[in-house]
Amino acid sequence: MVKQILCVLALGVVLCLAAIPVVAHHSFGAEYDVNQPITLTGVITKIEWTNPHSFFYIDVTDKSGKVANWKLEGYGPGVLYRLGWKKDVTMKPGDRITVFGWRARDGTNWAHSREITLADGKKLMFGPPAGTGDGGNAPAVEVH
Amino acid sequence: MRGTLSAVAIALICSAVSLFAQTKSAVPRGADGKPDLTGVWQGGSTLRGNWDETNAGLGVGGSGKNPNAPVIVSSNDRPAGREGAPYQEWAAKKVLESFNKRGIDDPTSICLPAGVPRSVMLGLFPQKIVQTPREIVILYEYMNTFRTIPLNAKHPDDLLPSYMGDSVGHWEGDTLVVDVTGFNDKTWLAGTGTFHSEALHITERYTRVDKDQINYDVTMEDPKVFTKPWTLHSTIMLREGTRLEEYICVENNIDPANYERLLKEGVKITR
Repeated sequence: MVKQILCVLALGVVLCLAAIPVVAHHSFGAEYDVNQPITLTGVITKIEWTNPHSFFYIDVTDKSGKVANWKLEGYGPGVLYRLGWKKDVTMKPGDRITVFGWRARDGTNWAHSREITLADGKKLMFGPPAGTGDGGNAPAVEVH
Repeated sequence: MRGTLSAVAIALICSAVSLFAQTKSAVPRGADGKPDLTGVWQGGSTLRGNWDETNAGLGVGGSGKNPNAPVIVSSNDRPAGREGAPYQEWAAKKVLESFNKRGIDDPTSICLPAGVPRSVMLGLFPQKIVQTPREIVILYEYMNTFRTIPLNAKHPDDLLPSYMGDSVGHWEGDTLVVDVTGFNDKTWLAGTGTFHSEALHITERYTRVDKDQINYDVTMEDPKVFTKPWTLHSTIMLREGTRLEEYICVENNIDPANYERLLKEGVKITR
């Protein structure tokens, strides 16, 4: 019992101390709007497995049957690899996927991806959270 | 009652000791008796374990502005609780300008090296330390940069200003102290807009406190932009089983062109 309590306490401490890794990235926050989350389901048409960021394109069909091709940005190949992605294996053109992310500020069919639900239901992160790289909630200096 | 309390106390101590033993093991040492820092590491984290365990789920990225996103800082963000950087008034205004531009002027957005200490403290990409008795080499996956740190050496007197600076190191007990100078003025230090001049002088202290953790203390001096030295404390965590990947930033870097186009089209991308 005591050990269990200790474990819970220890876990709590670990979780509290878990300063989450900081990221270096281009300003996703400048290009994409944190106030415009979007979830899209469609068929993969192309994947660019490139640095510094990867891109994939999906055909999304609306209720009237009209198809629109969307462009989505995400992490580069090294980061994707460590997150569990395998090039040409995990996701391929023709696969039907669902992606959650945030729309570009210009309102075109362009967004930044976060979580992808693959055809088999497995979920993997493809891009960083909203606002990554835009400077965060406070500047590095005090504002007087 | 007293017996029960003692038993509880003993159990507590034993559990605490066993927990400690499970989570912290001894600092590996080289033939020279110095802590051996060799390994693949992740900066900006306090979590013990391999890459998968410590970066699972929503563990990486973001400013935490959106309720749907985790509250996480990026290397461009100022972590909660950190004091403001001690910039001179004119320089603080310049830092603020970059913040208000959402960091679109970030040198790394055009694939320039991330510099020091940013390369050390960022977490999305691993870094590899290779230690020999005479020299320590650090390889950073992000931007494919490296530092060579000869021990007990002097800086050359004909340094050309550079992105990663010139490093020399020495041991103070179990702490590796690295003196870095010879910088150009084209990198950010720790957060959006944290620019510096060529007068930048950095002192880093790497202390491997156990197998999994290096305490990283860095002091930045730059009398041309700061009012006093700026010191930050961070940790670098061992990631056994992780290997460095290639990072060739210029391959498909379309973001700066996007910034330019959005600005031209009058889309508000700044604060």
